[in-house]
Amino acid sequence: MGKATVIPFGPQHPVLPEPLHLDLVVEDEVVIEAIPQIGFVHRGLERLVQTRDYHQFIYIAERICGICAFGHSMGYAETVEKLMGIEIPPRAEFLRAVWHELSRVHSHLLWMGLAADAFGFESLFMHCWRLRERILDLFEATTGGRVIFSVVKVGGVTRDISPDMFERFATTLSGIKGEYNQICKAFLTDASVKNRTVDVGTISQQAALDQCMVGPFARASNVNNDIRALGNGAYGALSDFKPILDSQGDCYARVKVRALEVLQSIDIINELIAQIPAGDIAVEVKGSPALGAEASNVLEQPRGECYYYARGNGTKNLERMRMRTPTSQNLAGMTTALAGCDLADVNMIVLTIDPCISCTER
Amino acid sequence: MALDIDFLPLELEELPALAKRKKKAGFRFVQMLCVTTQDGIDLQYSFMKEASLENYTIRGVRPGTKVPSVTETYISAFVFENEAHDLFGVEIEGNLLDFGGNFYKLSEREPMTIISPAQKAAREKAVQEKAAGEEAAGEEAVGEEAVLEKAVASGEQQKAAEANDAKEEASPQEAPGLEKADRTAEANDAKEEVRLQEAPSLGLEEQAAEANDAKEGA
Repeated sequence: MGKATVIPFGPQHPVLPEPLHLDLVVEDEVVIEAIPQIGFVHRGLERLVQTRDYHQFIYIAERICGICAFGHSMGYAETVEKLMGIEIPPRAEFLRAVWHELSRVHSHLLWMGLAADAFGFESLFMHCWRLRERILDLFEATTGGRVIFSVVKVGGVTRDISPDMFERFATTLSGIKGEYNQICKAFLTDASVKNRTVDVGTISQQAALDQCMVGPFARASNVNNDIRALGNGAYGALSDFKPILDSQGDCYARVKVRALEVLQSIDIINELIAQIPAGDIAVEVKGSPALGAEASNVLEQPRGECYYYARGNGTKNLERMRMRTPTSQNLAGMTTALAGCDLADVNMIVLTIDPCISCTER
Repeated sequence: MALDIDFLPLELEELPALAKRKKKAGFRFVQMLCVTTQDGIDLQYSFMKEASLENYTIRGVRPGTKVPSVTETYISAFVFENEAHDLFGVEIEGNLLDFGGNFYKLSEREPMTIISPAQKAAREKAVQEKAAGEEAAGEEAVGEEAVLEKAVASGEQQKAAEANDAKEEASPQEAPGLEKADRTAEANDAKEEVRLQEAPSLGLEEQAAEANDAKEGA
């Protein structure tokens, strides 16, 4: 056994999409311990809620992250609606769920591209991002934005989707599904993918439960935890939703869970579109959250469960808004997955938790 | 299986035992958050099992109070406890992964405890509006009581009953015999609350003033 050495990894590193620093304690190329360090992109967004009207803050909420933008605006709006006892029209709930699932598809495709790039399969990376562009086209056609959508508001949504556009959804998603199946096959069966992911960074079900992991990271260790299964909002209309689970708990299982969730989300979008009710897309919201009123909410973001909390103080500004993002919850699991791995696998393991440090720090 | 959310009170000394109890019962740790209030920092711990989300709040933790860490039971809490220390100045005792105030790279210490002048003014206005609303409701009740007494004195029982009904309809949640002394006490309490906001209970005023001075200097 060699002498222990500490290798600083990040915050700037070619494989890291976000500024995360790790102190890797290594002995003979084996990581003994990994200590995470964040704090490089803290923007104080939660603080801004105290100086912005609760209607205005929705535009800040969706800027927490460029990938989960829709999810954050939806989570924030749902929490404020709970705080003020507002019930939104069913059509608005369905539209939000459709866009949210579309976000999951684009987020997972983006992540799969990054993962392919990390294990050196660059053509696969390009195919993933090519398909993602077509999802962003759908966003642009329905919301006007490709990254920031500004389509959710407290009380509903600001734009409707026409029947013609829903037909375009069906055609595009059907086309994407055909091409995606080929990509999915490469991810799940190609030897070069398996060489880098099978039995790498394994986390048992018990360890995942002990670390309170969330999202695909937890589901790959057979933890049955998906907020969508609770049937909140339009998700209650799904006939048979079952979270996608895997019992291996390694990097390959995490790739597999996300790859299959893309197909699941496309099915969910089609099912929601088939039964979307007619009617209003928003209700008028007046007044301010009451002094001392508080509400909390959970939402299944592409990266996992996100927790929201709001407290009113009788003014247009909230007293406190809190977003606990999935990566915050998965940092402990990530250090567990890194302990004992080869130094060359660190990048793969870090990527498979799909870290979003911008979300974590806010 | 709909989401069931509860908000429950918690005493500081009960925290470690609660965390152990929740872990044993199969709950997972969801998050910990802080809220700056006039009485100190409110700490909220959330646990979830299936569709049950329980939020436990410890009210008014004063500066210097040692808060026991829950990382021994739930290691994932280390992120939140470091955050509570760096952003709110909460002193956590026994954090297994303590970054010693270097978790976030901040230009200002405990930035979430600073109350800006605009925020303070908005809060005061909200408290005053609430107090004024309560006072107005009280005066309305006094006016109606006078009508009631007059009616009783003149033997007009029917009129008294009508006035009584009207009063109950106007303020169904209010106690029927709210005395003027009670209302005065309430108004005094409201004033006291405004004064409390002005009191430097957390040293927040000084911090806000320092921050303003620094800005002006810049």
